[in-house]
Amino acid sequence: MDATQLLKGVLDVAVLAVVEDEDGYGYDVVRRLRAAGLEEVGDASVYGTLRRLYTAGALTSYVVPSEEGPHRKYYGINAQGRATLDLQRKVWNEFSTTMTNLLEAS
Amino acid sequence: MSTSTVTPEIAAFARGVRAALADLPPDEVEELTEGLEADLAEAYAEDLQRELPDAAAYATELRAAAGLPMRTQVVKRGVLAGLAQGWRDTQKDLVIAVRRNPTLAAAMEFVVSLSPVWWVIRAWLATWLVAAFFGSEQGYGVQGGFWWLVLLGFTIVSVQWGRGLWHFSGLPGLILIGNVVAIVALLPVLAASDGWGGSSEAGYAEAPFDESSGISLAGTEVTNIFAYDAQGKPLSNIQLFDQDGRPMMPVSGSDTMCGDDMCDRRLAVVGTKLETGVEAFNVFPLSLVPVTDGTETGETAPVAGATATPPKAPFLKVPAVLVPEKVAKSNQ
Repeated sequence: MDATQLLKGVLDVAVLAVVEDEDGYGYDVVRRLRAAGLEEVGDASVYGTLRRLYTAGALTSYVVPSEEGPHRKYYGINAQGRATLDLQRKVWNEFSTTMTNLLEAS
Repeated sequence: MSTSTVTPEIAAFARGVRAALADLPPDEVEELTEGLEADLAEAYAEDLQRELPDAAAYATELRAAAGLPMRTQVVKRGVLAGLAQGWRDTQKDLVIAVRRNPTLAAAMEFVVSLSPVWWVIRAWLATWLVAAFFGSEQGYGVQGGFWWLVLLGFTIVSVQWGRGLWHFSGLPGLILIGNVVAIVALLPVLAASDGWGGSSEAGYAEAPFDESSGISLAGTEVTNIFAYDAQGKPLSNIQLFDQDGRPMMPVSGSDTMCGDDMCDRRLAVVGTKLETGVEAFNVFPLSLVPVTDGTETGETAPVAGATATPPKAPFLKVPAVLVPEKVAKSNQ
Protein backbone atom coordinates (compact mmCIF):
# COMPACT_ATOMS: atom_id res chain seq x y z
CA MET A 1 0.00 0.00 0.00
CA ASP A 2 1.27 3.39 -1.03
CA ALA A 3 0.79 6.33 1.32
CA THR A 4 0.56 8.74 -1.64
CA GLN A 5 -2.51 6.82 -2.86
CA LEU A 6 -4.16 7.16 0.55
CA LEU A 7 -3.24 10.82 0.64
CA LYS A 8 -5.21 11.54 -2.51
CA GLY A 9 -8.42 10.65 -0.74
CA VAL A 10 -7.77 12.81 2.32
CA LEU A 11 -5.90 15.79 0.88
CA ASP A 12 -9.03 17.94 0.86
CA VAL A 13 -9.69 17.49 4.55
CA ALA A 14 -5.98 17.86 5.39
CA VAL A 15 -5.80 21.18 3.51
CA LEU A 16 -9.00 22.41 5.16
CA ALA A 17 -7.64 21.49 8.58
CA VAL A 18 -4.39 23.37 7.96
CA VAL A 19 -6.14 26.49 6.67
CA GLU A 20 -8.65 26.38 9.53
CA ASP A 21 -5.86 27.24 11.99
CA GLU A 22 -4.61 30.18 10.03
CA ASP A 23 -4.91 31.65 6.53
CA GLY A 24 -2.11 30.52 4.28
CA TYR A 25 -0.63 30.88 0.82
CA GLY A 26 0.27 27.94 -1.44
CA TYR A 27 3.75 27.00 -0.32
CA ASP A 28 2.93 27.87 3.29
CA VAL A 29 0.17 25.24 3.25
CA VAL A 30 2.57 22.72 1.70
CA ARG A 31 5.12 23.41 4.43
CA ARG A 32 2.58 23.01 7.20
CA LEU A 33 1.31 19.72 5.75
CA ARG A 34 4.86 18.41 5.55
CA ALA A 35 5.61 19.58 9.06
CA ALA A 36 2.54 17.66 10.20
CA GLY A 37 4.02 14.48 8.76
CA LEU A 38 2.61 14.36 5.24
CA GLU A 39 6.07 14.57 3.70
CA GLU A 40 5.13 13.01 0.38
CA VAL A 41 2.62 15.72 -0.47
CA GLY A 42 3.25 17.35 -3.88
CA ASP A 43 3.28 21.14 -4.32
CA ALA A 44 1.09 21.12 -7.39
CA SER A 45 -1.44 18.78 -5.74
CA VAL A 46 -1.82 21.20 -2.83
CA TYR A 47 -2.12 24.29 -5.08
CA GLY A 48 -4.69 22.51 -7.24
CA THR A 49 -6.63 21.39 -4.18
CA LEU A 50 -6.67 24.92 -2.77
CA ARG A 51 -8.00 26.18 -6.07
CA ARG A 52 -10.67 23.47 -6.22
CA LEU A 53 -11.83 24.06 -2.64
CA TYR A 54 -12.02 27.78 -3.45
CA THR A 55 -14.12 27.10 -6.56
CA ALA A 56 -16.35 24.80 -4.51
CA GLY A 57 -16.97 27.68 -2.10
CA ALA A 58 -15.16 26.21 0.92
CA LEU A 59 -12.36 28.80 0.96
CA THR A 60 -11.96 32.53 0.55
CA SER A 61 -9.01 33.98 -1.29
CA TYR A 62 -7.13 37.28 -1.38
CA VAL A 63 -3.94 38.51 -2.94
CA VAL A 64 -1.24 40.17 -0.84
CA PRO A 65 1.02 42.38 -2.95
CA SER A 66 4.70 42.35 -2.23
CA GLU A 67 7.04 45.20 -2.90
CA GLU A 68 10.11 43.05 -3.26
CA GLY A 69 8.85 39.98 -5.04
CA PRO A 70 5.80 38.51 -6.75
CA HIS A 71 2.55 38.76 -4.83
CA ARG A 72 1.11 35.92 -2.83
CA LYS A 73 -2.32 34.43 -2.93
CA TYR A 74 -3.75 33.63 0.50
CA TYR A 75 -6.55 31.22 1.25
CA GLY A 76 -8.77 31.23 4.34
CA ILE A 77 -11.61 28.98 5.47
CA ASN A 78 -15.22 30.20 5.47
CA ALA A 79 -18.44 28.90 7.02
CA GLN A 80 -19.06 26.39 4.27
CA GLY A 81 -15.46 25.17 4.55
CA ARG A 82 -15.86 24.70 8.29
CA ALA A 83 -19.08 22.73 7.79
CA THR A 84 -17.35 20.55 5.21
CA LEU A 85 -14.41 20.03 7.53
CA ASP A 86 -16.67 19.03 10.45
CA LEU A 87 -18.49 16.52 8.30
CA GLN A 88 -15.28 15.07 6.90
CA ARG A 89 -13.81 14.81 10.39
CA LYS A 90 -16.72 12.60 11.41
CA VAL A 91 -16.42 10.52 8.26
CA TRP A 92 -12.68 10.12 8.81
CA ASN A 93 -13.10 9.16 12.47
CA GLU A 94 -15.64 6.49 11.65
CA PHE A 95 -13.61 5.21 8.73
CA SER A 96 -10.32 5.11 10.58
CA THR A 97 -11.94 3.40 13.56
CA THR A 98 -13.45 0.80 11.26
CA MET A 99 -10.14 0.21 9.51
CA THR A 100 -8.19 0.06 12.76
CA ASN A 101 -10.61 -2.45 14.22
CA LEU A 102 -10.52 -4.49 11.07
CA LEU A 103 -6.76 -4.56 10.82
CA GLU A 104 -6.22 -5.28 14.51
CA ALA A 105 -8.81 -8.01 14.61
CA SER A 106 -7.23 -10.01 11.83
CA MET B 1 7.08 34.76 5.43
CA SER B 2 10.40 35.00 3.72
CA THR B 3 10.83 37.07 0.64
CA SER B 4 12.58 35.48 -2.24
CA THR B 5 13.55 36.49 -5.70
CA VAL B 6 12.27 34.84 -8.80
CA THR B 7 15.16 33.37 -10.76
CA PRO B 8 15.03 33.12 -14.58
CA GLU B 9 14.68 29.34 -14.22
CA ILE B 10 11.57 29.77 -12.08
CA ALA B 11 10.11 32.31 -14.51
CA ALA B 12 10.75 29.91 -17.42
CA PHE B 13 9.26 27.02 -15.47
CA ALA B 14 6.12 29.04 -14.66
CA ARG B 15 5.79 29.91 -18.35
CA GLY B 16 6.06 26.22 -19.20
CA VAL B 17 3.33 25.37 -16.69
CA ARG B 18 1.02 28.07 -18.10
CA ALA B 19 1.71 26.86 -21.65
CA ALA B 20 0.74 23.33 -20.63
CA LEU B 21 -2.54 24.73 -19.28
CA ALA B 22 -3.17 26.85 -22.37
CA ASP B 23 -6.19 24.79 -23.43
CA LEU B 24 -8.06 26.07 -20.35
CA PRO B 25 -9.80 29.45 -20.28
CA PRO B 26 -7.28 32.27 -19.58
CA ASP B 27 -9.11 33.27 -16.37
CA GLU B 28 -8.78 29.75 -15.07
CA VAL B 29 -5.07 29.61 -15.86
CA GLU B 30 -4.58 32.96 -14.15
CA GLU B 31 -6.43 31.83 -11.02
CA LEU B 32 -4.64 28.52 -10.94
CA THR B 33 -1.12 29.90 -11.33
CA GLU B 34 -1.41 33.18 -9.48
CA GLY B 35 1.31 33.17 -6.87
CA LEU B 36 3.09 30.26 -8.53
CA GLU B 37 6.37 32.19 -8.90
CA ALA B 38 6.26 33.31 -5.26
CA ASP B 39 5.59 29.78 -4.03
CA LEU B 40 8.34 28.32 -6.20
CA ALA B 41 10.83 30.99 -5.25
CA GLU B 42 10.18 30.33 -1.60
CA ALA B 43 10.43 26.59 -1.99
CA TYR B 44 13.72 27.10 -3.82
CA ALA B 45 15.11 29.45 -1.27
CA GLU B 46 14.29 26.96 1.47
CA ASP B 47 15.90 24.01 -0.22
CA LEU B 48 18.72 24.87 -2.58
CA GLN B 49 19.15 21.22 -3.56
CA ARG B 50 15.66 21.23 -4.91
CA GLU B 51 15.26 20.65 -8.64
CA LEU B 52 12.45 22.02 -10.73
CA PRO B 53 10.21 19.23 -11.96
CA ASP B 54 8.96 18.81 -15.52
CA ALA B 55 6.61 21.71 -16.23
CA ALA B 56 4.10 19.57 -18.13
CA ALA B 57 3.95 16.93 -15.38
CA TYR B 58 3.61 19.68 -12.79
CA ALA B 59 0.74 21.21 -14.79
CA THR B 60 -0.95 17.81 -15.03
CA GLU B 61 -0.75 17.35 -11.26
CA LEU B 62 -2.08 20.88 -10.72
CA ARG B 63 -4.92 20.27 -13.12
CA ALA B 64 -5.86 16.91 -11.58
CA ALA B 65 -5.87 18.31 -8.07
CA ALA B 66 -7.94 21.29 -9.17
CA GLY B 67 -10.49 18.93 -10.72
CA LEU B 68 -10.01 20.38 -14.18
CA PRO B 69 -10.30 18.30 -17.36
CA MET B 70 -7.13 16.60 -18.52
CA ARG B 71 -5.55 17.62 -21.72
CA THR B 72 -5.76 14.22 -23.38
CA GLN B 73 -2.47 14.54 -25.17
CA VAL B 74 0.26 17.08 -25.39
CA VAL B 75 0.23 18.53 -28.90
CA LYS B 76 2.33 16.31 -31.13
CA ARG B 77 3.67 16.73 -34.60
CA GLY B 78 2.20 14.67 -37.39
CA VAL B 79 -0.98 14.71 -39.39
CA LEU B 80 -2.53 11.74 -37.60
CA ALA B 81 -1.91 13.12 -34.13
CA GLY B 82 -3.07 16.57 -35.26
CA LEU B 83 -6.29 15.14 -36.64
CA ALA B 84 -6.88 13.15 -33.48
CA GLN B 85 -6.20 16.21 -31.33
CA GLY B 86 -8.60 18.31 -33.39
CA TRP B 87 -11.22 15.59 -33.11
CA ARG B 88 -10.81 15.38 -29.33
CA ASP B 89 -10.99 19.15 -28.96
CA THR B 90 -14.17 19.25 -31.00
CA GLN B 91 -15.56 16.38 -28.94
CA LYS B 92 -14.69 18.20 -25.73
CA ASP B 93 -16.43 21.38 -26.91
CA LEU B 94 -19.44 19.38 -28.02
CA VAL B 95 -19.66 17.52 -24.73
CA ILE B 96 -19.59 20.79 -22.80
CA ALA B 97 -22.30 22.27 -25.03
CA VAL B 98 -24.43 19.14 -24.71
CA ARG B 99 -24.10 18.97 -20.93
CA ARG B 100 -25.69 22.39 -20.61
CA ASN B 101 -28.88 21.10 -22.20
CA PRO B 102 -30.64 18.42 -20.07
CA THR B 103 -32.54 16.86 -22.99
CA LEU B 104 -29.43 16.66 -25.14
CA ALA B 105 -27.46 15.35 -22.20
CA ALA B 106 -29.96 12.53 -21.67
CA ALA B 107 -29.95 11.73 -25.39
CA MET B 108 -26.16 11.80 -25.41
CA GLU B 109 -26.02 9.44 -22.48
CA PHE B 110 -28.24 7.04 -24.38
CA VAL B 111 -26.12 7.27 -27.51
CA VAL B 112 -22.92 6.76 -25.54
CA SER B 113 -24.37 3.65 -23.96
CA LEU B 114 -24.77 2.29 -27.48
CA SER B 115 -21.08 2.61 -28.31
CA PRO B 116 -20.37 -1.13 -27.77
CA VAL B 117 -22.79 -1.79 -30.63
CA TRP B 118 -20.69 0.48 -32.81
CA TRP B 119 -17.53 -1.40 -31.83
CA VAL B 120 -19.07 -4.59 -33.18
CA ILE B 121 -20.46 -2.91 -36.31
CA ARG B 122 -17.10 -1.44 -37.24
CA ALA B 123 -15.45 -4.85 -36.80
CA TRP B 124 -18.08 -6.34 -39.10
CA LEU B 125 -17.47 -3.56 -41.65
CA ALA B 126 -13.72 -4.07 -41.49
CA THR B 127 -14.19 -7.79 -42.09
CA TRP B 128 -16.49 -7.07 -45.01
CA LEU B 129 -14.06 -4.63 -46.58
CA VAL B 130 -11.12 -7.00 -46.19
CA ALA B 131 -13.20 -9.85 -47.63
CA ALA B 132 -14.23 -7.68 -50.58
CA PHE B 133 -10.62 -6.59 -51.05
CA PHE B 134 -9.51 -10.21 -51.33
CA GLY B 135 -12.12 -10.78 -53.99
CA SER B 136 -14.69 -12.72 -52.04
CA GLU B 137 -17.55 -12.51 -54.56
CA GLN B 138 -20.27 -12.26 -51.95
CA GLY B 139 -18.30 -9.67 -50.07
CA TYR B 140 -18.76 -10.82 -46.52
CA GLY B 141 -21.31 -13.58 -46.71
CA VAL B 142 -22.42 -16.17 -44.25
CA GLN B 143 -20.28 -18.69 -46.11
CA GLY B 144 -16.76 -19.43 -45.07
CA GLY B 145 -15.85 -20.11 -41.47
CA PHE B 146 -12.61 -18.29 -42.12
CA TRP B 147 -14.33 -14.91 -42.32
CA TRP B 148 -16.19 -15.64 -39.10
CA LEU B 149 -12.81 -16.12 -37.46
CA VAL B 150 -11.58 -12.84 -38.93
CA LEU B 151 -14.75 -11.14 -37.68
CA LEU B 152 -14.17 -12.58 -34.22
CA GLY B 153 -10.59 -11.30 -34.20
CA PHE B 154 -11.58 -7.83 -35.42
CA THR B 155 -14.40 -7.67 -32.87
CA ILE B 156 -12.05 -8.46 -29.99
CA VAL B 157 -9.55 -5.81 -31.13
CA SER B 158 -12.31 -3.26 -31.79
CA VAL B 159 -13.92 -3.76 -28.40
CA GLN B 160 -10.57 -3.63 -26.60
CA TRP B 161 -9.76 -0.36 -28.37
CA GLY B 162 -13.21 0.93 -27.53
CA ARG B 163 -12.58 0.12 -23.87
CA GLY B 164 -9.32 2.04 -24.04
CA LEU B 165 -7.13 -1.08 -23.93
CA TRP B 166 -4.40 -2.26 -26.29
CA HIS B 167 -3.53 1.29 -27.25
CA PHE B 168 -0.25 2.26 -28.83
CA SER B 169 1.24 5.51 -30.03
CA GLY B 170 -0.60 6.92 -33.02
CA LEU B 171 -3.61 4.65 -32.51
CA PRO B 172 -6.11 7.43 -31.74
CA GLY B 173 -5.50 8.92 -35.20
CA LEU B 174 -5.87 5.50 -36.80
CA ILE B 175 -9.11 4.86 -34.93
CA LEU B 176 -10.43 8.22 -36.05
CA ILE B 177 -9.66 7.48 -39.72
CA GLY B 178 -11.02 3.96 -39.32
CA ASN B 179 -14.27 5.28 -37.86
CA VAL B 180 -14.66 7.76 -40.73
CA VAL B 181 -14.00 5.00 -43.30
CA ALA B 182 -16.44 2.71 -41.51
CA ILE B 183 -19.18 5.37 -41.47
CA VAL B 184 -18.63 6.11 -45.16
CA ALA B 185 -18.61 2.39 -46.03
CA LEU B 186 -21.65 1.55 -43.92
CA LEU B 187 -24.37 2.40 -46.44
CA PRO B 188 -22.83 0.81 -49.57
CA VAL B 189 -21.91 -2.30 -47.62
CA LEU B 190 -25.38 -2.64 -46.14
CA ALA B 191 -26.89 -2.16 -49.61
CA ALA B 192 -24.53 -4.66 -51.22
CA SER B 193 -25.09 -7.31 -48.59
CA ASP B 194 -28.85 -6.84 -48.61
CA GLY B 195 -29.82 -9.68 -50.91
CA TRP B 196 -28.63 -8.09 -54.12
CA GLY B 197 -25.67 -10.44 -54.10
CA GLY B 198 -22.37 -9.72 -55.71
CA SER B 199 -20.75 -6.36 -55.55
CA SER B 200 -22.67 -3.13 -55.31
CA GLU B 201 -21.93 -2.38 -58.98
CA ALA B 202 -23.64 -5.57 -60.11
CA GLY B 203 -26.59 -4.64 -57.94
CA TYR B 204 -26.92 -1.27 -59.59
CA ALA B 205 -26.59 -2.72 -63.10
CA GLU B 206 -29.27 -5.31 -62.55
CA ALA B 207 -31.74 -3.37 -60.55
CA PRO B 208 -33.44 -1.32 -63.31
CA PHE B 209 -34.25 -4.40 -65.38
CA ASP B 210 -37.11 -6.70 -64.72
CA GLU B 211 -36.06 -10.33 -64.84
CA SER B 212 -39.09 -11.20 -66.93
CA SER B 213 -37.84 -9.08 -69.80
CA GLY B 214 -36.35 -11.81 -71.87
CA ILE B 215 -33.64 -10.43 -74.11
CA SER B 216 -31.75 -7.18 -74.05
CA LEU B 217 -29.00 -5.74 -76.16
CA ALA B 218 -26.71 -3.08 -74.72
CA GLY B 219 -29.32 -2.29 -72.10
CA THR B 220 -32.19 -1.90 -74.58
CA GLU B 221 -35.02 -4.38 -74.64
CA VAL B 222 -35.22 -6.62 -77.69
CA THR B 223 -38.87 -6.94 -78.76
CA ASN B 224 -38.49 -8.76 -82.06
CA ILE B 225 -35.86 -10.58 -84.09
CA PHE B 226 -35.39 -10.49 -87.85
CA ALA B 227 -33.44 -13.27 -89.52
CA TYR B 228 -31.87 -13.18 -92.99
CA ASP B 229 -30.58 -16.13 -94.96
CA ALA B 230 -27.14 -16.54 -96.51
CA GLN B 231 -28.22 -14.55 -99.53
CA GLY B 232 -29.39 -11.70 -97.30
CA LYS B 233 -33.10 -12.25 -97.86
CA PRO B 234 -35.51 -11.92 -94.93
CA LEU B 235 -36.75 -15.17 -93.39
CA SER B 236 -39.99 -15.82 -91.61
CA ASN B 237 -41.15 -18.41 -89.06
CA ILE B 238 -37.68 -18.94 -87.63
CA GLN B 239 -37.71 -20.80 -84.29
CA LEU B 240 -34.95 -19.75 -81.95
CA PHE B 241 -33.57 -21.58 -78.89
CA ASP B 242 -30.72 -20.72 -76.60
CA GLN B 243 -27.73 -22.94 -75.75
CA ASP B 244 -29.81 -24.85 -73.19
CA GLY B 245 -32.70 -25.48 -75.55
CA ARG B 246 -34.93 -22.86 -73.97
CA PRO B 247 -37.17 -21.05 -76.47
CA MET B 248 -35.95 -17.48 -76.91
CA MET B 249 -38.86 -15.26 -76.04
CA PRO B 250 -38.15 -11.55 -75.94
CA VAL B 251 -41.69 -10.89 -74.81
CA SER B 252 -44.64 -12.93 -73.63
CA GLY B 253 -48.19 -12.88 -74.91
CA SER B 254 -49.37 -10.57 -72.16
CA ASP B 255 -46.80 -7.89 -72.96
CA THR B 256 -47.78 -4.89 -74.99
CA MET B 257 -45.55 -2.35 -76.59
CA CYS B 258 -45.83 1.08 -78.07
CA GLY B 259 -47.15 1.18 -81.61
CA ASP B 260 -45.78 4.66 -82.30
CA ASP B 261 -43.50 7.26 -80.78
CA MET B 262 -46.20 8.82 -78.62
CA CYS B 263 -47.42 5.43 -77.44
CA ASP B 264 -51.01 6.25 -78.49
CA ARG B 265 -51.37 2.85 -80.10
CA ARG B 266 -50.50 -0.31 -78.23
CA LEU B 267 -49.47 -3.54 -79.89
CA ALA B 268 -49.55 -7.08 -78.53
CA VAL B 269 -47.51 -10.03 -79.64
CA VAL B 270 -49.32 -12.86 -81.34
CA GLY B 271 -48.06 -16.38 -80.82
CA THR B 272 -47.61 -18.89 -83.59
CA LYS B 273 -49.30 -22.28 -83.43
CA LEU B 274 -46.96 -25.27 -83.60
CA GLU B 275 -47.96 -28.71 -84.88
CA THR B 276 -48.32 -29.81 -81.26
CA GLY B 277 -51.04 -27.23 -80.82
CA VAL B 278 -48.90 -25.14 -78.49
CA GLU B 279 -48.78 -21.42 -79.09
CA ALA B 280 -45.10 -20.44 -79.33
CA PHE B 281 -43.57 -17.01 -78.87
CA ASN B 282 -40.13 -17.93 -80.15
CA VAL B 283 -41.13 -17.88 -83.81
CA PHE B 284 -39.68 -14.84 -85.54
CA PRO B 285 -40.41 -12.26 -86.63
CA LEU B 286 -43.20 -12.07 -84.08
CA SER B 287 -46.50 -10.82 -85.46
CA LEU B 288 -48.18 -7.92 -83.74
CA VAL B 289 -51.80 -6.93 -83.36
CA PRO B 290 -53.16 -3.54 -82.26
CA VAL B 291 -54.85 -3.73 -78.86
CA THR B 292 -57.00 -1.48 -76.75
CA ASP B 293 -55.26 0.60 -74.14
CA GLY B 294 -55.35 -1.39 -70.93
CA THR B 295 -53.81 1.18 -68.61
CA GLU B 296 -57.15 1.95 -66.98
CA THR B 297 -59.01 -1.34 -67.18
CA GLY B 298 -55.92 -3.45 -66.56
CA GLU B 299 -56.87 -5.73 -69.45
CA THR B 300 -56.11 -5.48 -73.11
CA ALA B 301 -58.01 -6.98 -76.02
CA PRO B 302 -57.29 -6.95 -79.72
CA VAL B 303 -58.92 -4.04 -81.49
CA ALA B 304 -62.02 -5.26 -83.27
CA GLY B 305 -61.36 -6.23 -86.86
CA ALA B 306 -57.58 -5.90 -86.55
CA THR B 307 -55.38 -8.63 -87.97
CA ALA B 308 -52.00 -9.80 -86.77
CA THR B 309 -49.25 -8.67 -89.08
CA PRO B 310 -45.51 -9.17 -88.94
CA PRO B 311 -43.85 -5.84 -88.28
CA LYS B 312 -41.81 -4.15 -90.92
CA ALA B 313 -38.30 -5.60 -91.09
CA PRO B 314 -35.49 -3.12 -90.49
CA PHE B 315 -33.85 -4.10 -93.78
CA LEU B 316 -35.40 -5.41 -96.95
CA LYS B 317 -32.18 -7.21 -97.71
CA VAL B 318 -28.82 -7.49 -96.02
CA PRO B 319 -25.46 -8.26 -97.60
CA ALA B 320 -25.07 -11.91 -98.57
CA VAL B 321 -22.63 -14.11 -96.71
CA LEU B 322 -19.45 -15.13 -98.45
CA VAL B 323 -19.68 -18.92 -98.11
CA PRO B 324 -16.84 -21.22 -99.19
CA GLU B 325 -18.21 -23.31 -102.07
CA LYS B 326 -17.86 -26.74 -100.44
CA VAL B 327 -19.79 -25.70 -97.37
CA ALA B 328 -22.40 -24.01 -99.46
CA LYS B 329 -22.92 -27.20 -101.45
CA SER B 330 -23.20 -29.39 -98.38
CA ASN B 331 -25.82 -27.00 -97.03
CA GLN B 332 -27.94 -27.57 -100.11
